[in-house]
Amino acid sequence: MSPRQLTFHIFRYDPDRPEVKPHTQTFKIEEEMGMTLFVALNKIRDEIDPTLKFDFVCRASICGSCGMLINGKASLACKTLTKTLPSDITLFPLPAFKLLGDLSVDTGTWFRDMSMRTESWIHTDVEFDETAQEEKMDDDLALEIYEAERCIECGCCVGVCVTANIRQNFIGATGINRVSRFMLDPRDKRDEQEYFEVVGNDDGIFGCVGLMACEDTCPVGVPLRGQLAYVRRKMTVAGWHRK
Amino acid sequence: MYLQRAMTRSIKTDYIVELVQMVSGLLLVLFLWTHMVFVASIIIGASSFGALAAFMDKYELLPIAVVAVIFMFAAHIGAIARHLPARWAEQKVAWRHAKMIRHYDTWSWLFQIVTGLAILLMALIHIAVVSYGGISVVFSKGRIDNPAFLVFYLILLLFSEYHASVGLYRIFVKWGFVSRRRLEFVLGVVSVLLVVIGCVSLGMFLALKLVGGVA
Repeated sequence: MSPRQLTFHIFRYDPDRPEVKPHTQTFKIEEEMGMTLFVALNKIRDEIDPTLKFDFVCRASICGSCGMLINGKASLACKTLTKTLPSDITLFPLPAFKLLGDLSVDTGTWFRDMSMRTESWIHTDVEFDETAQEEKMDDDLALEIYEAERCIECGCCVGVCVTANIRQNFIGATGINRVSRFMLDPRDKRDEQEYFEVVGNDDGIFGCVGLMACEDTCPVGVPLRGQLAYVRRKMTVAGWHRK
Repeated sequence: MYLQRAMTRSIKTDYIVELVQMVSGLLLVLFLWTHMVFVASIIIGASSFGALAAFMDKYELLPIAVVAVIFMFAAHIGAIARHLPARWAEQKVAWRHAKMIRHYDTWSWLFQIVTGLAILLMALIHIAVVSYGGISVVFSKGRIDNPAFLVFYLILLLFSEYHASVGLYRIFVKWGFVSRRRLEFVLGVVSVLLVVIGCVSLGMFLALKLVGGVA
């Protein structure tokens, strides 16, 4: 059987050259055995157009750099095999993030800002004693925290979220998931009212309209609906107690 | 910290508005379903419908319901407005986005906005008509015999059942506990059932024969 001919329709735009309107450009390449979109995009860049911009680092769905819209579905290009796709493949950059050009977006600035606003660090006044025995965490709890911690910050959940696309300050599923991680962690001494200040508003959990595009999208399968519901319930109780 | 944030005593408002949105929505669904069951009394017979109407008259339930529903509408719209793509540019983003990601729930949210606005307009017309004419078999029959009114009520029935069902689904999705597939199934069945009951009620009015102007 001869290999398939793949036709890529790739979004092209260079913010430094606004006179060239955003458009899609078509590239044809031959499919190879076990080809991922990572391989295909590199082939296009090497053999057809060296100006094509896209992001990759790890190629193993760990770094979260290569999130993009693949035929409309947000996922990681490195873990998407071309054989799972039709021969016509449309690639768009992730929405909601700053567009650097073509398929490349700046997720870093967004995540940095979200981390600062959700205060994503352990809040404690316990003095660290390097000679003391490390406190043991319950296995089940550790696993629960790990479930949220598996987020690779690819931004797919933010890209597909309609609220994140029209409300710049919404922290998205990844942000709320992040907060849930700290809520679970007994080392973080924040009380419910302190968490409420961080996430008990329309930029946080109450901004979510529940479309669950995030959960349907997450390439590493973080159970986002559960995490969102957990934070919503916590914050509803906190709001009830709030003076 | 920003000046206005520092000077705003509490940010509890978003939380309260979110609760208002949910509670008003739930009450409106409760009202809608009760309403449809009451209307369905015509299926048993014109006399049952008449008895129910008399009962409502006796306790002044119609004006109470009208005021309560208008109040709940206002609360629901006021609360939900903050989520809506209100600016034209936001509308364009939302629709293009739904088209781009081809995600069912995102589409259903846009339909929620469309049906919500349509329901607001149509329900107000309906409330005005009922407030003017009261509840009686003859008055209802008169309207259903008019094709324009029949289409109006069919659309209002479909839109409100759809909106209620998707709204309930959204609430349950947000709070967790029940699987989305099971929710879809249960709410789908309930909604189809209520639409069928509503259609049968309309059909009963159409088939009803008035003798000398009374049922």
